[in-house]
Amino acid sequence: MGSFKPRLLVVEDDGLIRLDLVDMLSDQGYVVDEASTADEALLVLGETGGFEAVLTDIDMPGTMSGLGLANLAFERWPSMKIVVISGRYNPAAGVLPPGARFLAKPLSEPLLQRTLTEVGVASPSSD
Amino acid sequence: MRLIGGGKCAELVRSFDWGESPLGYPNDWPVELQTLVAVMLGSLQPMLIVWGPKQITLYNDGYAAMCGNRHPQAFGRPFGQLWHDIWDQVEPIISAAYAGEGTSMDDIAFTMHRKGYPEETHFSFSYTPVRDPWGTVLGMFCACNETTAEVIARRDREEQHDRLLRILEVSPGGIATLRGPDHVFEFANEEYYALIGMGREIVGKTVAESLSEVVRQGFIEILDGVYSSGEPFVARGVPIELNRGPLGEPQERIIDFTYQPMSDRSGQVSGILVQALDVTERMDEAKRVELVANELGHRLKNQLAMVQAIASQTLRNAKDLRTARRVLSERIGVLSAAHDTVVQGGPGSSRVRRLVNQMLAVHDDAARPRFEVSGTNVRIGSRPSLSMSLILHELATNAFKYGALSVPDGRVELKWDVVGLHKDRFELTWIESGGPPVEVPSIEGSGSRLIKAGLAGAADNRVEIYYEPAGLRCVVSADLSSFQQEH
Repeated sequence: MGSFKPRLLVVEDDGLIRLDLVDMLSDQGYVVDEASTADEALLVLGETGGFEAVLTDIDMPGTMSGLGLANLAFERWPSMKIVVISGRYNPAAGVLPPGARFLAKPLSEPLLQRTLTEVGVASPSSD
Repeated sequence: MRLIGGGKCAELVRSFDWGESPLGYPNDWPVELQTLVAVMLGSLQPMLIVWGPKQITLYNDGYAAMCGNRHPQAFGRPFGQLWHDIWDQVEPIISAAYAGEGTSMDDIAFTMHRKGYPEETHFSFSYTPVRDPWGTVLGMFCACNETTAEVIARRDREEQHDRLLRILEVSPGGIATLRGPDHVFEFANEEYYALIGMGREIVGKTVAESLSEVVRQGFIEILDGVYSSGEPFVARGVPIELNRGPLGEPQERIIDFTYQPMSDRSGQVSGILVQALDVTERMDEAKRVELVANELGHRLKNQLAMVQAIASQTLRNAKDLRTARRVLSERIGVLSAAHDTVVQGGPGSSRVRRLVNQMLAVHDDAARPRFEVSGTNVRIGSRPSLSMSLILHELATNAFKYGALSVPDGRVELKWDVVGLHKDRFELTWIESGGPPVEVPSIEGSGSRLIKAGLAGAADNRVEIYYEPAGLRCVVSADLSSFQQEH
């Protein structure tokens, strides 16, 4: 059967936090791409298909916030799962696209894993 | 003439030495005088008779009380002697009575010395001419009441009322009183006018007529409810639109207000006391405090996320737990010092120079400097300043461990500036020289990874590390405006 490694995109402008999040997910067996702005993320999503989920920060430099990215991504790639991460606030009801989840910074590894399962991202397997 | 009873003044009539008086003995008095004296002495109301051309004065016990210590000397003497001190006021009306004209007055104020000191007194009285059957005026009959107590009580009430109004006038809140079921303004203080709009004419008009803009906002219904139920109404933080602008244009305010029913003596609601406090500015301030608290919470969470990332990077790549503990505490110490520069100067005051100096204080030797530093006085935002401190710390640590500073003659040149065609980028360059031969590390340590993580909060930020033969060179750059922005 071989190994199964779902592909994820991490969008975060703070390099240190992005680095840590990418490490955390890679350790769990995911294939992880990264972007530092919403604009960059849209480019990556457009060029490279097959992302299982996108995990995005809210406040980032550029023309679009993480909330804008989440909603646009839901329109263009409806099957892709969405997790929004911020230290700022819990977004009001209706701001997140359907099925998306919010996580507060700082992240805990178990909570991250549980949330990914809840939004429907398959766990990596290596058998 | 036979006098029956009549109190102390009757005794005076009996014992008086009438032989010396222009009136002569009572038995010889004309019947008019005898009758009036009998009436007067029999009455409980203060009464006075002034008789004959000499204006001889007779009075009863009630009037004697009004004379103070001028009684009993004044009895049987000319009227002018009794009231010598106010004669200019009394003379015209007594003369009018002698001329056949009666006088009736509700309130006459006299300053009297009847108790040995000047005293304000008030009287209501009537002076009536007394004629013989042929119409000739023989004298004057006066029935009077001293109203001093009532007048002073009334004036006290009025003064109290005025004092209350003055207190209401300077009250820090808006106060108005309304009368009747249609809520007619009776009074409004300065603060109330300041709230509704200076110069608006409301007194004597109904609320609906003079503040027409509040009708559709539901305030009249509330007033009607308070008036009919007798229950007060209290509300806080209520938005209200009032035509209070300089040209009567509408403006939104936030008010705390109370409608308090006021009852008359029978217990019926007869009006409403309105108290209104403009809390617009206070609410703005409360909102601002909430914003600041949110912002602080946001920063704290971001910094915790940063510390979490540093801790996990440190532990992930550490040789052993002891080293990890030391390295981690150093890294957190650097963040803490960078944080001090942000907090001490206030937001927007952090400078690249200060962060560099903090690094030098730890890693350079003032007696034998190994850093050559040059840079402009560039401002740096709070988020990038934390990453910048960490990057400088990791560069220095690496240089001491593997790079130029690991040998006595090695040096570091550190420079920064605003660069680019449009002067829109910040760039810092770290150049090592005089060190051991440079090798590209086979395994990337946590220090390099933290350096490459770049400047948090700065757009388009890049970190390049070049392992050049002469020494390691690192260039950190970012978009200038976000590099300096306070998030």
